Amino acid sequence: MYVGQAIRRREDDRFLLGRGSYVEDITLDDPIAHAAFVRSPHAHAAVTRVDAARAAAMPGVLAVLTGEDWTRAGNGEAEGVWPVKDMSGADARTVNRPFICVDGTVRCVGEIVAMVVAEDRHQAQDAAEAIEVDYEEKPANTLTARALDADTPLVHPAHGTNEVLVTEHGLKEETEAALAKAHHVTEVVVPTNRVTAASIEPRCYMGHHDTVNDRYTVWTTNQAPHIVRRYFTKSLNIPEHKLRVIAPDVGGGFGMKLYHYPEEALVLWGAIVSGRPVRWVGTRSECLLGDTHARDHHTVGRMGFDAEGRILGVKFETLGAFGAYESQWNASITNAYHFTMLSLAYDIPAIHTTVRAVYTNATPVDAYRGAGRPETVYQVERLIENGAHEMGIDPLELRARNLIPPEKFPYQTAIGITYDSGDPPALVEKARALANYDALRAEQAALRAEGQWMGIGICAFFDMAGAGPVKMMNDLGAKIGCYDVASVRVHPDGRITVFAGSHSHGQGHETTWSQIAADRLGCNIEHIDLVEGDTDRVPMGIGTWGSRSLSTAGMAVYTAADRVVAKSKRMAAHMLECAPEDLDLADGEFTVKGTDRKLSFAAVANASYHSGDRPPDLEIGLEETSFFDPADCTYPSAVHLCVVLVDPETCAVTLRDYWAVDDVGTVINPMVLEGQVHGGLAQGIGQALMEECAYDPESGQYLAGTFMDYAVPHAEDVPSFGLDSHFTRALGNPLGAKGAGESGTIGAPACVCNGVIDALWHLGVRQVTQPMTPKKIWRAIEDAQRAQQ
Amino acid sequence: MAQVSVSFTVNGREVTATVDPRTLLVHFLREELKLTGTHVGCDTSQCGACTVHLDGRPAKSCALLAVQLEGCAITTIEGVAGADGMHPMQSAFKEHHGLQCGFCTPGMVMMGIDIASRHDAPSEETIRSELEGNLCRCTGYHNIVRSIAAGAQSMRG
Repeated sequence: MYVGQAIRRREDDRFLLGRGSYVEDITLDDPIAHAAFVRSPHAHAAVTRVDAARAAAMPGVLAVLTGEDWTRAGNGEAEGVWPVKDMSGADARTVNRPFICVDGTVRCVGEIVAMVVAEDRHQAQDAAEAIEVDYEEKPANTLTARALDADTPLVHPAHGTNEVLVTEHGLKEETEAALAKAHHVTEVVVPTNRVTAASIEPRCYMGHHDTVNDRYTVWTTNQAPHIVRRYFTKSLNIPEHKLRVIAPDVGGGFGMKLYHYPEEALVLWGAIVSGRPVRWVGTRSECLLGDTHARDHHTVGRMGFDAEGRILGVKFETLGAFGAYESQWNASITNAYHFTMLSLAYDIPAIHTTVRAVYTNATPVDAYRGAGRPETVYQVERLIENGAHEMGIDPLELRARNLIPPEKFPYQTAIGITYDSGDPPALVEKARALANYDALRAEQAALRAEGQWMGIGICAFFDMAGAGPVKMMNDLGAKIGCYDVASVRVHPDGRITVFAGSHSHGQGHETTWSQIAADRLGCNIEHIDLVEGDTDRVPMGIGTWGSRSLSTAGMAVYTAADRVVAKSKRMAAHMLECAPEDLDLADGEFTVKGTDRKLSFAAVANASYHSGDRPPDLEIGLEETSFFDPADCTYPSAVHLCVVLVDPETCAVTLRDYWAVDDVGTVINPMVLEGQVHGGLAQGIGQALMEECAYDPESGQYLAGTFMDYAVPHAEDVPSFGLDSHFTRALGNPLGAKGAGESGTIGAPACVCNGVIDALWHLGVRQVTQPMTPKKIWRAIEDAQRAQQ
Repeated sequence: MAQVSVSFTVNGREVTATVDPRTLLVHFLREELKLTGTHVGCDTSQCGACTVHLDGRPAKSCALLAVQLEGCAITTIEGVAGADGMHPMQSAFKEHHGLQCGFCTPGMVMMGIDIASRHDAPSEETIRSELEGNLCRCTGYHNIVRSIAAGAQSMRG
């Protein structure tokens, strides 16, 4: 069996030897031209003049294109993948993110105003700098918390409001009643900071128009190439059958590389206009500004407890950031991926939430690893943490009193979602043991007596992963079918190519999908190759996002492989003159049960293509495709526990220890699983302590445009991680797998922030907003001490 | 702009070229020599994806002009494996799952080799401190640290 083994990754050799093939590495026979963009330097302005005459005459310039050209060419508009209606039933006040400014107004810094295509990158940049643009600045607001204030400038004045849509979920009256009768009510303002994925590979696109065959090709840093193909039908009106989208090796995605971005459409348009292949490679500044941002919810939460610390109800009012426009999936982040998980790992009888999605003059917000759930966990867990301290109950003990007991599964939450399986008390007990929790509390008390500030952070949650099924996701707003696809092609020599609609940009599918296929096919893993990321080679696909690929594409591999086995057994039975049911397939051989009669899989594969001696109703060939629509979402769960030390002199936070216990269902490769959790934790720690897409609130200027300003964690900023796991089987797919891609990022912000609050509670600190920088912690301590005087 | 002639060695091979003086070493390696294992991740020498060895010491090839390197010896990720297979540091990264998307990996391996050459048995603390110029967004560094420690041990033999 390969499944369950820490097989070393088959994709690693090419990366380690410097032979990866990322979009920027690809060469073509024709010389590749380069694109450069003119971007708005203002948060909100009228574009009164664009003069490209001087630029167009510069050396090497092949084309200069503006919004007027876009409109004249008959190009189209963006369209949402996951639009959501307002709770009134009316359409949301949707303004999709434009590919290029076409209406004479720019609404955030970085919005594209013009494009240059030139022979080389320097010529393109020089010409872009020579384009003269006049702006008339307008009042702007970049703060989500202020978006609906009466005096806040409107991003889209035609709508008369900055509100995109309002949605309410849960039990309103029951929640109000629960809070009214509660023994204790905790209220905390719990905003989540605006962050961005910051994959180390910048976004990069290349477009090519084959005029002879009237075919188009786009190479893209993207996680879902078939979805890109679908939305080129909207941007450039290119029918799907004429467009090939290739997402080769991609250097990290994290949700941010899921969208049909402006530059992606513009690069292919530039190729069509110039008659040359055109590539754009984002600078880090362009990426930190133009990659979708994430989180940025401004939330007020109230949680009611009975005298024993049992949660009676919880209520949230949220302003959820859209930025200046609707990015393709954002409506799902403020809705389906947020409210559904508000019960976390707790048995909460009444939950109610109101989300007002709002426009600001900032970069559009969309999914980033966790997408809605880090916000949810942070909001609920910060209330639990403060509630425990206020009631004088040990924070882990208070959580234990509220966990969903294993006998309650499947468990329907008060918000309406049903978790199929899980055992939160077992996760908590493992975390307690792993961390030696009681000893930590004793250490904390001892250190506090010496004037040292140590805190213990905790959180416990469920994740909604594995999107579909198709119908459920459609009902939640998705305009795409959330299934996935795989084909298993057996070649006449018995070797196998697996084609999957998922995309690996770090997840290791070449290894893990092959582990699944090899087990089902009873073959050597070295006999399997995987193809992903090419719409001409893979029949269809929905891509890799939302911790979904194992339970959808992985299951499609499993199912297609089983179909291959069933068909090959019919051929083998014919050749061995027995019944298919009498055959075992293992180690590349069919064996007639109870005998020593054998036939190699390769011989059967060859006969499947080349022998006329076959069962009369058995079609030639040995290749099967599965479009797998899961029976349910998956619900991974986890408990995190950490130790932070806050320096009383500098207020700097040191994260000393971090433990996570995950229930991800069936594990295909424990090494890959641990790597996924490690990476997610570091990103979540970054959100808690360091990262922020900061804007100057007065000018609307972006302040985080380089890695000197946007603080991605370094190796020194994170500890080694202690991981454990607990297994309960997912019920929605035969593999029993739940997915593991986002757990770390979902839990870490809440866990770390709770740790800092736990360290500072005795000083009177009740909340520090993310990221918890030394300056903010120092100010919170000062404010608390002043209030106590 | 006037072109400038420059000669140096890359992975032991003599290279003489005439370049635009503003050409960065990383672009020269990637575009002229097609050595695309060296990556650009940030443009401001924070991320270290462009790390190469310059006369045996790590250097960020996005912060060097090709014309600065007359007579120098450059080693890139393509030049560290031996005829008999991967360098011990590369093998350690594979064994300890020190990479995911692979984009920062060449820089991490080049830095790892340098750390191992300067520290006899680098501790976790030393390795984390030495990686101050390299960013990874996938691994959370946990397995990179283990890979470099193991690679250093293999290099000592």
